[in-house]
Amino acid sequence: MASLITCPHCGTRPKEEFSIRGAAAPRRPSPAARDEVWHRYVYVRDNPKGRYEEYWHHAAGCRRWLVVDRDNLTHEVFGVTDATDHLTAEAGE
Amino acid sequence: MALNLLHRHVLEDHILGFHGGANPNHLSVVRRPVIFSVLAHAGREGQVREALAKAEDIAIRACGPSEWLAVSQTAGAEHVAAQLSAIPGVSLAEQSDGKVLMAIAGPSVRRILAKCVAVDLHPDVFAEGQSANMMCCHVVANLARTGADTFEIIVPRSFAGSVFEELTEMGREHALTASFLDA
Ligand SMILES: [Zn+2]
Repeated sequence: MASLITCPHCGTRPKEEFSIRGAAAPRRPSPAARDEVWHRYVYVRDNPKGRYEEYWHHAAGCRRWLVVDRDNLTHEVFGVTDATDHLTAEAGE
Repeated sequence: MALNLLHRHVLEDHILGFHGGANPNHLSVVRRPVIFSVLAHAGREGQVREALAKAEDIAIRACGPSEWLAVSQTAGAEHVAAQLSAIPGVSLAEQSDGKVLMAIAGPSVRRILAKCVAVDLHPDVFAEGQSANMMCCHVVANLARTGADTFEIIVPRSFAGSVFEELTEMGREHALTASFLDA
């Protein structure tokens, strides 16, 4: 259990306790948005190499959704925030 | 009232045959604990946490922000439900027949648990009274330190057999024994 993630609620935990749920950047379009916009939201991802924000669900811990800011090449973790706080911070910007 | 599935404990077959006295390292299974899941409504987390701390005959286990388990080995389910539902801003669900409560204690308890969980349980780090959800023997569990060298583990009923087997296996080199608490 080498990859460690520091959950803001539970502390440092092994990656086995989490399930990775994909990119955190895409925002849900309005229900009235065109099909192309929805298609892009549901299916199209950039799959970057390097620093990247991702949803991690702490399934075996606090069961909160987290946003992990990490480098997917080196697995250096820059920060972990609760998804609610992440959205609040984004809305405040 | 919840459907009672506890007439025959899920670990009955696992413990059958374990006779003789308890060794210093011992795993005891509580036959009929009362366990409720408690959630605080948005914005009421602080008040609910304070009120829960004052509840009598009920041990409170932390699961995550605004979520707890209320555990009692002495009070009945009605008494626990009445106390908890009197707190403003909570939702609760009885879990007594869906969860299994075990207590592991002894001088080697940390060396045994080190093979089961990936959380630092050093006495200076994991204080007495502290609790958290964590993966224990590949199962989502709530682990609480209830004494100097005593930990209580709550696991879903359907996984209890697997967790029990793994705990006893990890405890074998430390001569861990197991029994029902009120056998
Ligand atoms: Zn967590």
